[in-house]
Amino acid sequence: MTDQQTTDVAEPEEETSNLPPKVPRLPPGEWMKKNLFSSVGNSILTVVFVLVILAITRGLLGFAFSPERRWDATATNMRLLFAGAYPQNQFVRMWVSLGIVVALGGLSTGVWRAGGRMYLTSLLLKGYGVGGAVVLVGILAPFSGSARLSYFLVGGLLIAASFAVQSATDEDTTVGTLAVGLVGVSIAVGSFWVIPYGHHAFIDGAQVVSDGTVAATTKGPLTVMVILAVLTYFLGREIADRVDAGWPRKVLSLSWLASPVVIVFFVLRDPDFDYGHIATTEVPIFLAYAVGGGLLLFALASPRIGEVGRIIAAVTLIAAAATFLTPMLQVIRILALMLAVFALAAPTFSGNRAARLRYVTVWAGVVLGLLWLITAINSPATVESNSSFFTGGLALTLIVASFTMILSFPLGVILALARTSNMPLFRVMSTTYIEFVRGVPFITILIFFSVLFPLFLPENMEVTEIAAVTIGFTLFSAAYMAENVRGGLQSIRRGQYEAAEALGMTTAQKTVFIILPQALRVSIPPLVGQTIGTYKETSLLAIIGLFDLLFVARSLIPNQTSFIGSVREQLLFASVIYWMGAYAMSRASQNLERKLGVGER
Amino acid sequence: MAQVGALILVLGALGFLVSQAGDNLRARSIPTGFDFIEQPPGIQVGEGIQTRDFETGGRALWVGMVNTLRIASAGIVAATVLGVIVGLARLSHNWIVQKVSSVFVETLRNIPLLVQIIFIFTVFTTLGNVSLDSGPIHGWLHISNKGLSVPRVFGLNGSFQWLAFMAIGALVARWAHHHQVRKQEETGQLGYPIVAAGGVLSVFGIVGWFAHPVMGFLGPVFGLIADALDGLPEETLQLILAVLSIVVAILWIRRFLKSMSSGGGRAKLTDDDWFRMIFAFAGSVLVAFAVLVVWPGLSSWLLNSGRDFFQLLDDRFGSGNGGRPFDGKRPDIVKPGNFANYGPAGLTLTPFFAAVFFGVVLYTAAFIGEIVRGGILAVPKGQTEAASAIGLKRSQALRHIILPQAFRIVLPPLGNQYLNLTKNTSLAIAVGYADVVQVGQTIYNQTGRTLPVMAIWMLFYLACSLTISVVVNFFNVRLKLVER
Repeated sequence: MTDQQTTDVAEPEEETSNLPPKVPRLPPGEWMKKNLFSSVGNSILTVVFVLVILAITRGLLGFAFSPERRWDATATNMRLLFAGAYPQNQFVRMWVSLGIVVALGGLSTGVWRAGGRMYLTSLLLKGYGVGGAVVLVGILAPFSGSARLSYFLVGGLLIAASFAVQSATDEDTTVGTLAVGLVGVSIAVGSFWVIPYGHHAFIDGAQVVSDGTVAATTKGPLTVMVILAVLTYFLGREIADRVDAGWPRKVLSLSWLASPVVIVFFVLRDPDFDYGHIATTEVPIFLAYAVGGGLLLFALASPRIGEVGRIIAAVTLIAAAATFLTPMLQVIRILALMLAVFALAAPTFSGNRAARLRYVTVWAGVVLGLLWLITAINSPATVESNSSFFTGGLALTLIVASFTMILSFPLGVILALARTSNMPLFRVMSTTYIEFVRGVPFITILIFFSVLFPLFLPENMEVTEIAAVTIGFTLFSAAYMAENVRGGLQSIRRGQYEAAEALGMTTAQKTVFIILPQALRVSIPPLVGQTIGTYKETSLLAIIGLFDLLFVARSLIPNQTSFIGSVREQLLFASVIYWMGAYAMSRASQNLERKLGVGER
Repeated sequence: MAQVGALILVLGALGFLVSQAGDNLRARSIPTGFDFIEQPPGIQVGEGIQTRDFETGGRALWVGMVNTLRIASAGIVAATVLGVIVGLARLSHNWIVQKVSSVFVETLRNIPLLVQIIFIFTVFTTLGNVSLDSGPIHGWLHISNKGLSVPRVFGLNGSFQWLAFMAIGALVARWAHHHQVRKQEETGQLGYPIVAAGGVLSVFGIVGWFAHPVMGFLGPVFGLIADALDGLPEETLQLILAVLSIVVAILWIRRFLKSMSSGGGRAKLTDDDWFRMIFAFAGSVLVAFAVLVVWPGLSSWLLNSGRDFFQLLDDRFGSGNGGRPFDGKRPDIVKPGNFANYGPAGLTLTPFFAAVFFGVVLYTAAFIGEIVRGGILAVPKGQTEAASAIGLKRSQALRHIILPQAFRIVLPPLGNQYLNLTKNTSLAIAVGYADVVQVGQTIYNQTGRTLPVMAIWMLFYLACSLTISVVVNFFNVRLKLVER
């Protein structure tokens, strides 16, 4: 899962420090007496619950493994569930996108030296548990004799292996959690090469089933991903060993931020740039803004410019607003507005020559990024797709969720600052907005943006439904984000403000350099919680008819008449996918909270 | 300066968008009037207090609102009960109980609610049909693709008199409870307040079951009130309402100012306080204006419904003459045409209602469970130890020491969950339960009034959110005052 929020905040720390405290373990008999049969009431509860669990498990297994279930429907439509109608001959782009995420994840894990160690005994305990569960499945599920036997065999092997390892090692042995995870993933991916799951496809209106292992187009790339993860992890460690940890972390954080944009607009969509047009239009615009705007900002960021700078910045803003009165390219207007914002913010970042140059560089980067993005969005895609958006399924879910989080973050911070500001007009506006958005259900906002948003646009401007919905999602999410950030802002002690004032900082400098860094750090755990919420809320896209994971799982695929009535299987599969993502993120946030708690004296 | 600039900017942007929307709406000739509220909508809704032949679109929307409120209030009760059980189970000393409840929580809260609702609904649609023989069902519970039917308990005519009995019983029980508690506090002897109150209530219940016709005299009393309301001129009520709203606002402001001033003198009023007071006063003036000028029909409507209400009470209290006040019936199956369905005897949840209801209840219960668990864990350990040191049993400590303190911590996030539950019932649109969103969508598909319908949705949900937060805040403030 692409969990971007957690990676750019982890603290450096020694590998041994996050070893959980060791709990003394009782022998099984005493343990059962203490935890299951401590009193008559407890014993009754235990018996009742065991019976209920057995009944529920039996029911679930009976559902999942009944011969009536069409799991082959899920297997056949796997591609649709994960990537929607993304063209099959371009599918390597999907794998490249996944590769980018995996590589960034591996590098970040290495650079931040994430992952701790755990006691082998607690791992083995899990081994016993899983082995027992597998045997239980063999007993309860409606299997044929041979299948039942193989389950017994696997479960027995697991238990035996755990026992063997336990008797061979002593109690204090620890293992790396990353290694454990890698072994698990490798076994899962390796099983694609060994176990004959069968190969299902749907080609030209007919279901094609062949025995043997899954298709090479699935297991090959997956194996590459595992290898890539390992390689990038060690590369990350090397980098962290060789150079000062500061800048690789900065680069990685920025890469995470930029990755959704790069993946969607460059890798997946592959804009068909009209280079002639770019040379005559975009390049001059870039040069004009980067050079002209850069010079202006360099002058404005000088600490000695004083009141004149403010006036120039105000004039820039008025000029930018005036561009809306005459017809011209939208890009020029947007960049003019950006320049005005940078000009207004210049005194905050003023300083010596190096600081001013850095400011100008950031400006040039912003111009380049914006121009590239706008041009990419406006260029036609080379990837042909017959649906309104080029991808769907889980990919769409993740794209919308990550764009929403990235876009709503700055908006949420601004709203939170406005709400805690001591200027009543700002506070009233921000509070009204936040409380309004938090008071209405998301679905009404979603329907509003999907149905009515085009009405609010100028005549010659068009926005796809996905973009409109993402904007609505962002505006919705920003209100909740603002409340989370506000919690962080309120936890900052007065002394911090006073100290910043004593240093002669302006309000803007105080906010940007002193308050926000501390407040955001405090609000990271709730923000991860919000990321989980956003990820789950993307399922609402299905209601307005966008092809996200839930929609694909719920819909009947055209021509597949033999799969009618297999919706429950698909929904169950989608639930497992959603669950894995949300659960992974919530575990990550728990770990993070613990780590941040350690850092907080 | 910056504020005014930002305000102008925001207003300018909004004005630009609105004018743009106005142009576009005119260009595409999309109607935006609210006239559909007054006209027959020509739609049917799935379930509710009325399902077809609506006289006005407003009535159809009202049916949707009632459906939303119905599912939300039932959901809040059920989710609270289940959530508290789950939260306590997560702290159980029994390993297996603890594990089961944490699996419950971790599974349900990590799967999107919409997926759960749709899954439950799909399960319902794949169930068997109701059998084709009509007649009562042998058994307590019947599930099919037509929904879920359970026996229904319903009040007969004597039930109102019985309830009046119970109201008096509740007053006496309250007195008994107070009495026992006071005795306990004065003498130190262990009293039985709960037992006493429960005993009084059950005695009243049993006596009332047989003696409820005694309360029949209430009928004519209500009849008199109804007549009095009938005689009240409309203008008088208008005036009373208008004056009342302004008086309430002034009283509120006075109380607010009083609460701001401590012994030494008045605290400095912040902008927020001024904003609140001005807002309260402006709101009351607005209400008065609306009652007098904009919507004079409101007071006649109020008069009529008040009269009808008391007339109804008159009828109900008058007609009970002995016999059981309550009765129950098992679900049955009827076959009006070619298709069998559940009859009116049992309490039937349609698949649409059941999917949304079980979905929001299970999902919210998982979150409430976590909140309850967190609240109990947040009570300092010393409290538990002190309770056991003075000889309280574990159950006593939980009831008298831990839970009251945990409740204070739990209340604000609990209110948040109630808000979320209410808003989440809007997912009903995915399975077609006739809530306000679904009915609204049907209406705008029919009439094209997208914008007004959406405005009504948002106002309705804002009103719900506001009500819930006012209620939760009320309890929050009361609990805070108890503190120390």
